Amino acid sequence: MSFLRVNMTTETVQWEDIPEEYSLLGGRALTSIMINNEMSATVAPLGVENKLIFAPGYFTGTPLINTGRLSVGAKSPLTGGIKESNVGGTVAYSLARLGIKAVIIEGKAVGDKYFLLNIEAKNTASLVSADNLKGMRTYALAKKLHEEYGEKKSITCIGPAGDFQLHSASIQSTDLDGRPCRAAGRGGLGAVMGAKGLKAIIVDRQGKIPSEITDAVGFQKAARAYAKDVQNDEFSGQVLPEFGTAVLVEPINAAGAFPTNNARFGQFKGIGKISGETMARVIKERGGKTQHKGCSQCIIDCSNEFVTEKGEYVTSSLEYETIWAMGGMIGNDNLDAIARLDFLCDDIGIDTMNTGAALAVAFDAGYREFGDADAAISLVEEVAAGTEMGRLIGNGPNAVGKHFNHSRVPTVKGQGMAAYDPRAIQGMAVTYATTAMGADHTAGWVVDKNLEAFGGTVDAMEATGQVEISRNAQIHMAAVDSAGICDFAQSGLATEAGINNVFTMMAAKSGQVFGREEWTELGRRVIKAELEFNRKAGFTKDDDRLPPMFYNEPLPPHNVVVKVSDEQMDSTFDFLRNTP
Amino acid sequence: MKVCVKLFGTLPAYYPGCYPDMGLDVEIPAKTSVAELVDLVRIPPEQVAIVAINGMLAKGNQLVPEGAEVKLFQPLNGG
Ligand code: SF4
Repeated sequence: MSFLRVNMTTETVQWEDIPEEYSLLGGRALTSIMINNEMSATVAPLGVENKLIFAPGYFTGTPLINTGRLSVGAKSPLTGGIKESNVGGTVAYSLARLGIKAVIIEGKAVGDKYFLLNIEAKNTASLVSADNLKGMRTYALAKKLHEEYGEKKSITCIGPAGDFQLHSASIQSTDLDGRPCRAAGRGGLGAVMGAKGLKAIIVDRQGKIPSEITDAVGFQKAARAYAKDVQNDEFSGQVLPEFGTAVLVEPINAAGAFPTNNARFGQFKGIGKISGETMARVIKERGGKTQHKGCSQCIIDCSNEFVTEKGEYVTSSLEYETIWAMGGMIGNDNLDAIARLDFLCDDIGIDTMNTGAALAVAFDAGYREFGDADAAISLVEEVAAGTEMGRLIGNGPNAVGKHFNHSRVPTVKGQGMAAYDPRAIQGMAVTYATTAMGADHTAGWVVDKNLEAFGGTVDAMEATGQVEISRNAQIHMAAVDSAGICDFAQSGLATEAGINNVFTMMAAKSGQVFGREEWTELGRRVIKAELEFNRKAGFTKDDDRLPPMFYNEPLPPHNVVVKVSDEQMDSTFDFLRNTP
Repeated sequence: MKVCVKLFGTLPAYYPGCYPDMGLDVEIPAKTSVAELVDLVRIPPEQVAIVAINGMLAKGNQLVPEGAEVKLFQPLNGG
């Protein structure tokens, strides 16, 4: 396999052999460890020295299902720290099948120059001038590029928000239908891409270079067993295809953990109108698709296709987090408006979660009323228009809070929190506060362990035990993100036999001994690199805190505040900080 | 005493024709716990992960009050 290193300043591309130290890494392990090794932590995120790295997971390109995941890493303009943002679609698989382990974008285009990176085959890639594409929205861009370069291309691009270098800008990637609806949304990495002068990466989808696997027979056997487990699991086999992640809406609301009206409440009155069950019924009645394949090699199909009453396409992959961000968080119970907002965010190239939180802060400050869906839509349109208010919304909740001098801003390290209130699920308080990523739910999702009615390990509204479960989840997820396994295919590794399949595949591919110890070590190594980078960038323990509102304002209906103490937060990764 | 049980996600499949918002009216003895109620409605306990009584999160050993609205959810995964 090779690295493709692209220098935007000199407009050159270079193919490199993989250095020994990176040969067994993929996905998040590769992006985070490389960034920590290769780059000064004090560089300007939108400057010439930041590096933007795209890396398929370690398993991507192998016969293992649900491994079409791409890690995108850089120093984030939103948080000022290291970032790994994960996206599906077709790009990761396409890169892996061209024998590309990572694409590293360096430098910065001179003046106002803008480019496309066209990757046709291994050893064949070029920068193509694209000055005329600046400002173009992602759906129009993907269509144009497919017309010009052919249908069998994967397109990873930015929209107007990335062109403006706004701090919530996403990187959008095309799904199997060629629509740019999959988002590496978090951390404003679209702004980094815009700052480099790179509008899109076009990757040929017809690569056939087989993945390097030491023991192919052993790998196949474990991969088949893994696929069977995922298929047989009720959640990944039945629930996700039917409802997608939106199935979480009702239970999280029932748990009083659905942040509503900028996290003033834990339950939303309009929940029945925006639940996963309602969404599935509406989609079916209108002739849309509840089940839709979003990513290469997927057998779960958690994506969907939302349509209007007339059956016209609105958006694809309407997910739980977006239903919350553009629904409960801004007091909006209109599902059609949520779907429209999801589409607009994809089209303009902006993170739905950060944008929902930014709108919520603006509404909370009295700029508009909660529940005003039309105002939300026109404000998101303003992001693309580049108005002053549009720029504030596009720069995220902190920018909006500062503008209105409003202190109720639900962010950690500048990133808007996700759809689980940390007061009602205290394990998420630990994850939001301590991950290097800023308030991020995928870094360590401990919702299940907090809410379980039977044999639940912790009390969701107490601090006891939360640090440990969040720490373990974060270390585990860092390894999952490095392997390139989709979050939702984790049913395959939920049991002892399941995780052993993963270890077997790791060993079979690498030709090295691999077991639980190596798995945990991989996760720890990734987190250690991320924390180290952030420390060098100037982060201290004081940054591992939630905003005051979560400690001071009891959240109805349970009327609880975050009880995890500062000392407990600091104990999460102390052992990593202290080891050499 | 009577309670109303609402099923979400895959759980309505145990009662064909039952939609989440409809709910089942169930007669239960006083001092019935959440776990016993799940048993009474004949849903395998491993299929139920989250329970809410009158909009508040509940644990398996909690007692179900008269007239309660009990929501049952299947196990969750992932984020
Ligand atoms: S389950 Fe969803 S996110 Fe995961 S690979 Fe399939 S379509 Fe993509």
